[in-house]
Amino acid sequence: MATRKIEVSAKIPTVTKHITQESINQFEACGILDRQNIHNSPELAKQRLGTTFPIASGRMSVVYATEALRKFFGPQVFNHTGTVNLKFLRPVKSGDTVTVTGEVSARQPAEKGKGTMVTVSLLCQNQNGDQTAVGVGTAVVP
Amino acid sequence: MTRPRSNQATTPAAKPKLKIFNYDTAKIGEELGSYEYLLTQEMVNTFRAAVSDPEAAFPTLGVKHDATSLAMVYEDNVGGVNAGNEVEFFNAPIAGKKIRVTGRIHDKYLRRDKPYLVIEATATDEDGRLLEKLRTYQMKKPDEVGKKWQPAK
Repeated sequence: MATRKIEVSAKIPTVTKHITQESINQFEACGILDRQNIHNSPELAKQRLGTTFPIASGRMSVVYATEALRKFFGPQVFNHTGTVNLKFLRPVKSGDTVTVTGEVSARQPAEKGKGTMVTVSLLCQNQNGDQTAVGVGTAVVP
Repeated sequence: MTRPRSNQATTPAAKPKLKIFNYDTAKIGEELGSYEYLLTQEMVNTFRAAVSDPEAAFPTLGVKHDATSLAMVYEDNVGGVNAGNEVEFFNAPIAGKKIRVTGRIHDKYLRRDKPYLVIEATATDEDGRLLEKLRTYQMKKPDEVGKKWQPAK
């Protein structure tokens, strides 16, 4: 996977996830601090955001994008050279379905002449087609 | 509101009293909490289940290293909304290894009259392998965006 030539406009695998409050709570349970926050506490979401619902951590979308990029580049490449940079545009909440898509937007020689830096434009959308996050991912392929 | 989960966090022996977070006095470059914890297989499994990806390699993303560093120093009564994340991956963490995290305030700025705080964390394991660098862009007026998100009655 890593040694093949990756063309600009190549599409990365699509990753789709259905979000539930259970999955949000489970994600929050990964921390080493037991914290109530706007993701797992409706009361705090109401107090701090003024919403009647908790929102999913944006980091969940980062993880979904990471999965799509890992599948595209391969874990040997992505887990050692990968980056993800996402800007969050809309909240994701329980009941939503998030789909991550991406397309190679650039290739350029990596620093120190070690391979090729491949840049992927990333888009996260909900079930209504609304953009929830945009950004880029990169990896250095040999 | 914040306490270590049992058998997971290995925080500094004497837990300092938390300071109340004040955006105006927070300093760029300020060091946040440094800590170690043991990455257990259970944590890996929980993370993979949460994101429905049995091959997810960075359960550290679920630990939220940077936010944890902030929470170990400050009581943040305002909170924030995550406006963006930047993460660099170097090596996948290994279950059974201790992970050491250092955090700092990378930047703060105003954009469209809204205060942003950029916190950064770097993680290495007990063998000195660099695992990941993570930055979070927190918008510190969460109610400003929340009111846009709440459907009209």
